[in-house]
Amino acid sequence: MRCDPRTADRIGANWLRTALAPAGDFGRRAEDTARPFGPEDGAAAQARCAQILELAKKLDRDGAAHVRSALRRAPDPVEIVSRAHAGDALDDVDFFEIGRFADALEATARAWDAAGGPALGRPPLAREISTLLARGREAGTFYLADSFAAGLAAERSAYAAAAAEVVRERARLAGAVALPLASAPDGEEFIVMRDVLPTLPPAVRVVRETPAYRVLALELDGAALAAAARRDAALTRVARAEELVRRELAAGVADQGPTLLAAAAALGELDRTLARVAFTQQWGGCVPTFTAGSFAFSAASFVPLRAALSDAGLPYTPISIDLHGVAVLTGPNMGGKSAALATCGFLAACLANGVPPPAERAALPLVGSVAWIGGEDAADRVRLLSAFGGEVVRAREALANAVEPALLLVDEFARTTGPREGRALLVALVEALARRGSFALVATHFDGVARDAGVDHLAIAGLGRRSLDAHAARDIHAALDAVAKAMDYRIVAVDGESAAQSDALALAGLLGLDDAIVERAAELFAGCPAGPFAHAAEDA
Amino acid sequence: MSGTLLDAALAGGTRTIVVVGTAKNVGKTVTFNALRAQALRRGIVGAITSIGRDGEASDALDGSHKPGVRVQPGTIIALPRELVPRSPALHILDRGESSALGPMIFARARFAADCEIGGPPTARGVRATIDRLRELTSEPTFVDGAIDRIAPLAGGDDAIVLATGAASAGSVAAIAELARSTIARLRLPGRDPGRERAPAIVVTGALDARDAQELLATRPAATVVVADPTRIAVRGRLFDALAAAFDLRCERPLRVVACTTSSAGAGRALDPRALVHAVAAATQLPTFDVVAGISA
Repeated sequence: MRCDPRTADRIGANWLRTALAPAGDFGRRAEDTARPFGPEDGAAAQARCAQILELAKKLDRDGAAHVRSALRRAPDPVEIVSRAHAGDALDDVDFFEIGRFADALEATARAWDAAGGPALGRPPLAREISTLLARGREAGTFYLADSFAAGLAAERSAYAAAAAEVVRERARLAGAVALPLASAPDGEEFIVMRDVLPTLPPAVRVVRETPAYRVLALELDGAALAAAARRDAALTRVARAEELVRRELAAGVADQGPTLLAAAAALGELDRTLARVAFTQQWGGCVPTFTAGSFAFSAASFVPLRAALSDAGLPYTPISIDLHGVAVLTGPNMGGKSAALATCGFLAACLANGVPPPAERAALPLVGSVAWIGGEDAADRVRLLSAFGGEVVRAREALANAVEPALLLVDEFARTTGPREGRALLVALVEALARRGSFALVATHFDGVARDAGVDHLAIAGLGRRSLDAHAARDIHAALDAVAKAMDYRIVAVDGESAAQSDALALAGLLGLDDAIVERAAELFAGCPAGPFAHAAEDA
Repeated sequence: MSGTLLDAALAGGTRTIVVVGTAKNVGKTVTFNALRAQALRRGIVGAITSIGRDGEASDALDGSHKPGVRVQPGTIIALPRELVPRSPALHILDRGESSALGPMIFARARFAADCEIGGPPTARGVRATIDRLRELTSEPTFVDGAIDRIAPLAGGDDAIVLATGAASAGSVAAIAELARSTIARLRLPGRDPGRERAPAIVVTGALDARDAQELLATRPAATVVVADPTRIAVRGRLFDALAAAFDLRCERPLRVVACTTSSAGAGRALDPRALVHAVAAATQLPTFDVVAGISA
C-alpha cells in the first residue's frame, strides 16, 4: 500500500508500525523484509486476519507476553551460521550463542504450549544442535570440555603442569631475592633502595637505576627459561587440540545451518504474528470481507485516538461508514470528521499489514494507495507555498501517484481560499474522483458539494437538538468535556438536500468567545436561512 | 603504615576495588596487578574487568610498554568479545553490555592465561558489568578503572584506589598537591540534613567554573549539593576556594580508600619514599608504592 509520510502520520500508519514492532531481532528482520498485502492479495490477507484472530482468542494474554519475552532474549544465529557455512573458524562465544539459541527455541516452545498455542504453530526446536554442543553446555554456559576430543584432557594437563613448573621456577628465583628484601615482589618489576640493599642480589637484572634506588626484575636462569619454553610448547599443543574440536563443531553447525536458519525465520514470523495477536487482544478486530465496490465498516476504532483518549480517561465512540465510491462528509467542528477520515486510512493500513481491522464488521478492498489531501504542512513554508498552494500541490501529486483501487481522504480542501472559488474547486475535485473510480471521503463545511458533484452525502450527527450549556463550562477542559458529552459522533447518510451543520456558533460560545460577538453572529445567521454560503453555492 | 594495599582496600567490607589514575602511566595497572597478587597469596582469585581497554602489551596512544594481565585458574573475567583468547579456552558464562569491541563476555579461566581486558564505555555498562561479576562470584572484583568514568560507583560500597606518580607532575610536592586536590574532590562528603546551612543549594548536572564564580559572588557559606563528586567540574584553586567558602556535599559519595605512587614516569625518577610520605600526608590516606614495597 503506497502512502506518503504525511499521510502515514495522519492515518496512524506510523503509530501502527510502532504498535506492531516485534520483540526480537528475528522479528524485526522479518518485518523489514515482509511485503505488505496489496490489492491482489485478498485471500492471503483474509487468511492472515483469520489466523491472528484465532490465536488472539486461543492464547492466554500473559502467556503470549511470555512467548514474546522469550523471543526478545533469543540470540541471532544467522551470522554465525553464515560464517560456519563459509568455512570460517568459529570461537567459543559462537558456540555459546548457538547454544543459547537452541535454549531460546525450547523456552519459546514451552511458553507457546503454556499459553495454549495450537500444535500446528508451535515454534521449532533444534535438537541436533543441542546434542552437538551438549558436552560443553551446563546451565546455559559453554566450555570446550575435555570430553569433546580424546587427548584434549591430556594436553591440558600437560599445559597446567608446565605452567605450574614456571610458577615454581619463578618462586625459586623470587625466594632467592626475597631473603635480602624481606618480602617477595608483587609484580614483574620491583624497586630496592640502595641504602637498604647496597649490593645487587642474585637472580635479578637491573631494569633502571637512579642514585637512590634500582628497578629490578627477576633474571630467568636456564632452568626457568626451559620451563617457560616447555609451558609455551604445551600451550601451543593445547591450542592445536582446541582448534581441532572447534573445527568439528563448526562443521556441525554448518551442517545444521538450514535447520537453524529455518528456525530463526520461524521465530521471526512468530514474533511478527504475536505482535499482531497482542494488538488484536487489546483492541479487538474482525475478519474482513474483501469487496471491490464498497469501503464499509461498523463500530470501528481509530486506535491511536482511542488509545490517547483511554490514557486520558476519556470515552471513545466507534464509528460506522458505508462508502460506495466517493462521499462527502459534513458535520460540526470538533465532531470527528478528520477522525472519520483517519479511521478509513487506519483500517486500510491494518489490512495491508495483515492485522484484523479493529471493527465489528468490515467489507472493504485492499487498496493500492492511500493519500491525505488537505491541511497545512510545515514543509510548505520552506517551499514558499501558502496553505492553499500546498494543498493544491499535494492534491496534484496524490492524483498522479494514486494506485487503484486508491483511497483518497480529503480534509477540508480549499478552506483557506475564497469560499466561492474554493467550493467550486472542491466540487470539481469530487467529480474527478468519482469519474476515476477511487474510494474517497471528502470532509468539508461547504454546502451542497455532494449534491452538485452527484455523490453520496454523509454527516456527523453532531449536536442536533442536544444543547451546550456555555455557562457550565468553567474552563477549556470543562468546555471540551461538555462538547464530548453533547456531541453525537455517529455518521449518518443524508437524504436529499441539507445544509452542512457546523454548530459553529454554539461551540464558539462554549469555548468562551465574547457573548456579544456570538449573539450578533446568531442574528446574522438567522437572517440567512440557507446559510451564508448558499450564495456562494448559487454563484458557483 | 602496617598491612597491605589489599587490607586497606578491603577494610570497609567492600567486594569491589576500582583502581583509577590521576594521569596515564602512573602505575594503575601495576597497582591492579599488585592487588591481585596480594589476593592470590591468600588464595583469592576474584573477578576482573576494566573500564576501557587494558592489558595490551604497549600503550595504544604512546606505544610505551604496559604490564600484561595474567589470570589464574578460577578467575572470573569480564572482557569484550573480541578480546576473548582462543587458548587456553575460557568457560563462557554469560554476555552483557555492548562495548566498542563487541558485547561484554563473562567467562571463567580454567587455566592460567595472559589476556588483554577491556570494558564497556558507558557508566551504565560499567555498573551492570560490576554487578554481574558480583553475582558470579563472592570473591572481590578488581576493576582497572578510569577516573572520568567512576560516576556509576557513587553511592555504592565500591572501594577506589587512586594511583598517582611521576608521570602526573614534575616534583614530589606537585604530585602530592595534585593528589590532595583530586582526593578532596572525590571524597566529597554525603549530605547531612542535621548540619546543613539551609536552604541547601542543589546543583543539577555539573558544577562548572561559571557556577562556581556565581556561587562565590552571591551565596557564600551555604550548603551546596551535587549528585556525586564527579559532577564537580572545577579544579585547582577554584575548587579550593569553593571548598573553603561552602559546605560542599553530594547525594552519592564515593569511597576512596587508598593511594599508590609510582616514582618513575615521563622521563622522571623521584625518590619513592619521599613521594609515598608526601602523598600520604597530603591526602591523609594510606599510601603504597607497590613496586618498592613502601607504605605510609
